[in-house]
Amino acid sequence: MKSKITLLSLVLSLMLMVVSLVGCTQETSGEVAKDPNQKGILVVSFGTSYADTREVTIEAVENEIKDAFKDYETRRAFTSDIIIKKLKDRDGIEIDTVKQGLQKMKDDGFSEVIVQPLHVINGAEYTDVVQIASEFKSSFDKFNIGSPLLTSVEDYKAVVNALKTQLPELKDNEAVAFMGHGTHHPANSAYACFQYALEDMDVKNVFMGTVEGYPDLDNVIEKLNDNHIETVTLMPFMLVAGDHANNDMAGDEEDAWKSILKKNGFVVNTYIHGLGENKAIQELYVAHTKAAIEDNGEEE
Amino acid sequence: MIVVCLYGRMIEMNIYHKSKRNILILLCLMVALIFSSCSNTEINKAQGEDDGSYKIAFTDDLGKEIRMKEPAQRIISLYSAHTENLFAIGLDEEIIGVGRQDIYPPQSLEKPVFDYRSDPEKVIAAKPDVVLIRPFIQRKVPDFVAVLEKAGINVVTLYPEKFAEFDTYIQKLALLTGKEEQAANLLQDFHAGIDHISELTQNMTSKVQVYFESSENGYKTITPDSMAAKAIENAGGINVAKNAQAVTKGSSIAAFGAERILENGNDIDVFVSQRGAMNAGGNQHAISIRPGFSAIKAVKNNRVYVINEKIISSPNFRYIKGIKELTRMFYPEIVDDITRFAAEDVVTRNQMAEIAVRYKHKEIFVPTSKYYKKQYKGHTYGMFKDVAVDHPNFDFIETAVLSGYMESYKENGSEMFYPEQKITRGELAGILFMLHDLKDTQKKVNIKDINEVSNSRIVQIVVNNHLMQCDNGQFNPQQLVTGKEVVEALNQLKVLN
Repeated sequence: MKSKITLLSLVLSLMLMVVSLVGCTQETSGEVAKDPNQKGILVVSFGTSYADTREVTIEAVENEIKDAFKDYETRRAFTSDIIIKKLKDRDGIEIDTVKQGLQKMKDDGFSEVIVQPLHVINGAEYTDVVQIASEFKSSFDKFNIGSPLLTSVEDYKAVVNALKTQLPELKDNEAVAFMGHGTHHPANSAYACFQYALEDMDVKNVFMGTVEGYPDLDNVIEKLNDNHIETVTLMPFMLVAGDHANNDMAGDEEDAWKSILKKNGFVVNTYIHGLGENKAIQELYVAHTKAAIEDNGEEE
Repeated sequence: MIVVCLYGRMIEMNIYHKSKRNILILLCLMVALIFSSCSNTEINKAQGEDDGSYKIAFTDDLGKEIRMKEPAQRIISLYSAHTENLFAIGLDEEIIGVGRQDIYPPQSLEKPVFDYRSDPEKVIAAKPDVVLIRPFIQRKVPDFVAVLEKAGINVVTLYPEKFAEFDTYIQKLALLTGKEEQAANLLQDFHAGIDHISELTQNMTSKVQVYFESSENGYKTITPDSMAAKAIENAGGINVAKNAQAVTKGSSIAAFGAERILENGNDIDVFVSQRGAMNAGGNQHAISIRPGFSAIKAVKNNRVYVINEKIISSPNFRYIKGIKELTRMFYPEIVDDITRFAAEDVVTRNQMAEIAVRYKHKEIFVPTSKYYKKQYKGHTYGMFKDVAVDHPNFDFIETAVLSGYMESYKENGSEMFYPEQKITRGELAGILFMLHDLKDTQKKVNIKDINEVSNSRIVQIVVNNHLMQCDNGQFNPQQLVTGKEVVEALNQLKVLN
């Protein structure tokens, strides 16, 4: 019995010693000292489990950001828990959630952190990112969140110009239909606004539709018929050409856009490359990151 | 001893039973228990001693003695294979409830749903005379099962671990429900069907070597005595991983690993990925982009196929469909040969569905348990009023429509296929257009009656591509086609692509 007490007191005193030693190395207990030179960018996307498309879209944009801001350490986070789990279980790849990513940057002593989402619209997913990220606002000396692809009027015009680089030359009876995701969130209006920008900038026979929002495929078909279109090229209006692009857009099933358009008598081509593969779109994300870096928080 | 035991039971039961009715049941049980011991067989004994008056007597797969005087009239099945098999042996009204994941046959969608992860009181209130579960449920929610048993409900646990146990399993279901004769007939047809396939495939001159993936996590395969392995054998394939060991005792999942798959890469003619369950195998694209996998023969030759686990690894009568599907994957040119249809004077929509699916070597559509959670604008699987699940061409018809090859119709809110309707030239043009992504040609053929054609744009492209010819410049969209015309048009289409 006596020896047990002795052992216990020895362990306790050792623990106390360790705690006090650790305490000495830090400014305040439990807080990591911030390094003024540690600056980072957390690039946030939904994620994809397909390595090939991930490389040419998400990773390509990340690399552009990395190259543009060499003083910053660029890191990755995904918002999809399902994809994070799948990659971990199947491929042994560990990817952080936004929360984990920011916590690690905090623990690693970053003084400045920029969160750049690769989302297309200011929708529900982006709102979630902002909400989670905002909890870390006071953890860094400087902390900003960049805006999604379609935010300002200038963005809409810049994206139209960026897409011109991937649009084929179109005859009068040929069109391109973009497949956007679409959402129940009020930001769904971005898609119709983008259609307006296309027309405003004189880009003819290019129509926007969405899988889950408005305008939908029926609206697109109406436009195609009004414009006497016979051949349509389908393109994803999404960062990654993943399941939506391969199945809902270009798939062979009855309810895929390609099948429905063919049933309506159109000749259909498919272009299965995410927006993330477009160099000009990659540059726009770099520009958004730059704006977030340069924003010195003149809040009203 | 009896007193102590009863006291324990009262406390346990009071947690779950609060209503007056349940107190009454509790009292009855107490009386019954006084005359019984605390062994696990009190439910049976509470019904009376085994005096030979039980018509139904067998041991379930957890070793419990099942004794019933009459076949079950009110059955709740909490496992999809049980539900499917109960329908298969001819029950319907007797099935008063099904599990959360049960979607086949489509009639099961009309049944009240019970969830073993929620309140057992809902099951008790439905007054079933049998609740069917599998050992997995007993392991996962022992409390749920205990509450049912304490309420006097006859819980029967069944699950055939191996293919060899399938018949006994079906016989137990039949005994329980008084459908012995139907079950015996079904089993006879089932085995005759498998034997027939096996006879045909055993004579294949060069047999294909097959790798079967059951999970993409750790690249797992199946054990040699699993249902899927037996299916490969019957379908005339050679299992590359026939020495694979089970991951845990009794499991049909076996370890293999990427390294061994790649070692055998040159031998794997066909790669079959089982999908449907949690952590199931990968899809064609996901498999083809794995590091090093492009060197596998099956990946190089585009012979990676996906099969739904419900038709290959689940103990039900659809298993024979899974074997047939494997034969199509293994020997597509022989099994999916459509030249025999050339002898037909006319072609029905029913035949056309089979021709189209075989021509494309398209896997038959099998819904997953999530399928009905979504609303579909077009056709919904299993909803044709004129094509029931037991229609001989059910799978071809469903697949032809769900793949967009053929149209479906709506009549007074009901979905119709019109299987016996004959194919017209206009309809054939539409099907040809859907089977491949045709481009229009520079040179246009002049079609005199093009204004009388409803799908004129499609017909024009099909004729421009010389897939169908005009007669003196007339397309004649309403004219019926012969089997020969269909087969020739498809041969032409194949050349074009």
